[in-house]
Amino acid sequence: MEWSIGESGVRYIAKLSDSEGTLSLTELTRDGHEAPHSEIGITRDSQGARLLVDIDGSAHIAHVAKVGDDWWIHINGRIHVVHGHEPGSADSTAGEGGLTAPMPGTILEVHAKAGQRVREGQTLLVMEAMKMEHRIQAPKAGEVLSVNFAEGDRVDMGATLVELGD
Amino acid sequence: MIPDWMTSAPRPFDTVLVANRGEIAVRVLRAAKESGLRGVAVYSDPDEGSLHVENADQAVHLPGTTLADTYLNGDAIIEAARSTGAQAIHPGFGFLSERADFANAVKSAGLIWIGPPAAAIDTMGDKISARRCMIESGVPVIPGEEISIGGDSDHLGVLASAAARVGYPLLLKASAGGGGKGMRSVHEPKMLRTEYEAAAREATAAFGDGTVYVERLLKGARHVEIQVLADSQGNCIHLNERDCSLQRRHQKVIEEAPSPAVTPTIREAMGEAAVQAAKAVDYEGAGTVEFLLSDRGEFFFLEMNTRLQVEHPVTEMITGIDIVQKQFEVAAGLPLGLSQSDIGITGHSMEARIYAEDPSKGFLPAIGDLAMWRAPAGPGIRVDTGVREGDAVTVDFDPMLAKLIVHAPTRTAAARRLDNALSDLRALGVITNIGFLRQMTTHPDFISGGITTDYLDSRDISDFAEPDPDPAILVAIAAAASRFGLDRAGSGSSESFVDEHTGHSGDPFRTLTRSFP
Repeated sequence: MEWSIGESGVRYIAKLSDSEGTLSLTELTRDGHEAPHSEIGITRDSQGARLLVDIDGSAHIAHVAKVGDDWWIHINGRIHVVHGHEPGSADSTAGEGGLTAPMPGTILEVHAKAGQRVREGQTLLVMEAMKMEHRIQAPKAGEVLSVNFAEGDRVDMGATLVELGD
Repeated sequence: MIPDWMTSAPRPFDTVLVANRGEIAVRVLRAAKESGLRGVAVYSDPDEGSLHVENADQAVHLPGTTLADTYLNGDAIIEAARSTGAQAIHPGFGFLSERADFANAVKSAGLIWIGPPAAAIDTMGDKISARRCMIESGVPVIPGEEISIGGDSDHLGVLASAAARVGYPLLLKASAGGGGKGMRSVHEPKMLRTEYEAAAREATAAFGDGTVYVERLLKGARHVEIQVLADSQGNCIHLNERDCSLQRRHQKVIEEAPSPAVTPTIREAMGEAAVQAAKAVDYEGAGTVEFLLSDRGEFFFLEMNTRLQVEHPVTEMITGIDIVQKQFEVAAGLPLGLSQSDIGITGHSMEARIYAEDPSKGFLPAIGDLAMWRAPAGPGIRVDTGVREGDAVTVDFDPMLAKLIVHAPTRTAAARRLDNALSDLRALGVITNIGFLRQMTTHPDFISGGITTDYLDSRDISDFAEPDPDPAILVAIAAAASRFGLDRAGSGSSESFVDEHTGHSGDPFRTLTRSFP
């Protein structure tokens, strides 16, 4: 399994060795290159969703929950999301020029049309979700290839709203 | 059965229907139970089996798909009260809480309305009539003008000339707006049109009214509000102030009491003004008078919220008064039984609003299933929650999940306790603002107590980004959790595992490594 953390597209692979129930991190690769890491040993606590994590000799508790392909981890007072990827799979979050709906909602305003050149940060669409307005802005300068929705359309989360080219 | 404390009341009741959902419905239903009252919940389809339903003695389903069919459906709610024998209706906040017509309908149905008189809601609910009323009763107000926009007239021209008279920067408020909706700040004339249209749309979507009010935007001011309590005998007191200056786009983020900016002199003057405001509309029950406090110590009336506030718990913590219990007493016709001199301030309290939203994506609301929800506990920690582990967070409602409230002897101790409690709140499966709140509570600007209402909107949110995690630790945990099979049977897996060789139940690795004395 390959892993990425939060919004970052960096892929990690962890090699673990099992010694009497303690899984130790023996190798970490970061985008295919070996990366330095702390001494980490993990044991399963009797509580189902709890792990005992030894980091360089100090003990920590991690609470984990699996949602889809993601592991949600609470450790040291912070919450993190680690995404699981099948090895070699494409990174779905990498910018392919498509701007997707961050939430299910309704399109209120369309400010871009196909063929138009837009600058970075320019508002392309305004959508309403959960009673608040959200501006969909161009992440980079470029040419609008297509606008896939019109005012008043309902959109699902992840729907491609605008295709943006260079 | 009428509880003992209410038997001598002019309008006794034994069952209260809570016309709301989420954490506030839970809060009121629990208060009802503690007061010896039966609690009735109402719920729409997405809320079937939700926490507020679980906390009720009885629950009535409101059919339909829109809010107008369900939580905004006054007739259906009154019918639910009739069918369950509830003699009183508590509206919570939001929804029908500030609808004078609903208050009247409740009373016409022969039921007790746990809230102020309809006339008070009417006067205060309209920002323009509220302002007039305050000017008449000598409560200081911010320079501003009302714009009556009728039909398809040249409203932009009218708006632009009023804006020019009031002066920039200014605040556009839809008369019927609230909670940050239908309210926009305009810093220069060329932005007037865009912001007006957005404000009008938001207000119509949420409240169904398009009238606009223009007022001067006071820069560097604080939002300080006074909790008032009034009974039907004409007694009215205040429970000191709350400071809600930490806001993002007019949505409060962290509230506290007392305010670090309020001196005893300001407190007394502001308290008196708040009581004056409440008396001007013959107020009854619990209400909040909001003020802007300038850096020179002048304060101006902002609005009065004729209902329970989201942030009421911080006042309860420092005064020891259960405001919801007081609402029940006043609704039953009992006197407050408190005078101003009974009200003190013990320690310091803070409340953080836990939202399902992503600070790194412009605070976009987040959805998902709460695979884990473990709230912190301990001395001085209170959690008012509307969700449980396993609940789904959907787009149907406001993204506020819970409120984390702390109480400590000093402000510094309260801030530390809040940060600690936030770090113990394990909410997994839905992105929340918990990490952002931790950055905020530990930020020097917050610790120093100098936050003003424009603070967050004038900052780059990346200033409050959480520290980068060590990827090795997280990746190792994810890989180990997968290897242990924690994803297969959920959190109960270890209990159901029986080792074939030893017959022991539980984790096989634990069995192997266990050492016996």
